[in-house]
Amino acid sequence: MTSPIADGIDQVKAWIVKRHPDREDIAGDLDLIENRLIDSLSFVEFVFLLEQVSGRSIDMDTLEVDSIRTLDAIERHFFAARVS
Amino acid sequence: MDIVSVTRVRRLLDEHGEDFFTRMLVPSELADCRTSTGLDVLSLCGRIAAKEAAFKTLRVRNRFLPWLDIVVQRADGGWPLVDLRGAAGRMAAASGIAQITVSISHDVDYAVAVAAPILTEHRNS
Repeated sequence: MTSPIADGIDQVKAWIVKRHPDREDIAGDLDLIENRLIDSLSFVEFVFLLEQVSGRSIDMDTLEVDSIRTLDAIERHFFAARVS
Repeated sequence: MDIVSVTRVRRLLDEHGEDFFTRMLVPSELADCRTSTGLDVLSLCGRIAAKEAAFKTLRVRNRFLPWLDIVVQRADGGWPLVDLRGAAGRMAAASGIAQITVSISHDVDYAVAVAAPILTEHRNS
C-alpha cells in the first residue's frame, strides 16, 4: 500500500515525465527549472496540478521558486505529513 | 522575446477550459481575445508571449512571472500596451524601468512577441 505522500509526489513526477517523454525518470534533486522541465507556461498548469493533488490552494504571487525547484522540495512543501 | 505554440495553448484550453486562463489574463485581456465563437487561441498565444517577453526585460531572478500584474491591453489604434501593476510594477521600479513596449505577431502555429524596456531618466543621468 502506498502512502498519500508517495502517491502525491508520484503523480507530480508522472505529470512531468508525460510531458518530457525523453526522460524515463526524474531524480529528486534535479533542478526542474534549470533543466526546462517547467517553464513559464507549464508553470501555471503545474500549480493547477499541485493544487488538485495536494488539495491545497496555492497563491502564485507568494510562491517561492525554491519550493518547486526539485521534486524533493515539492514533496517537502506540498506533501509533507501534516499533524491534525 | 518569446514564442508560444498554438498546440500547447489549445491543449490547455481543451483540457482545462476557459477558466484556466483567468490565472494568466485579467478579464479585459480575455475580452480582447474573445470572438463570437469563444476564445481565439492565436490571440491568447500572442497575449501570453507578450507577457513573457515583457517579464524577461525586468531581469529578475528567482521569481515567477506575475501573470496578472503584467497586463497587455489593446490600444485604440490596435497596438498592444503594457500595464505593469503590483509586483510587476515593483520589479520594474527596482530595475529602473519606467515602461515596456511590446510588439506581437502570429502565424498559423506560433505567436511571437518582442519587448523592450524604457528606462527611467534618472537611472542614466
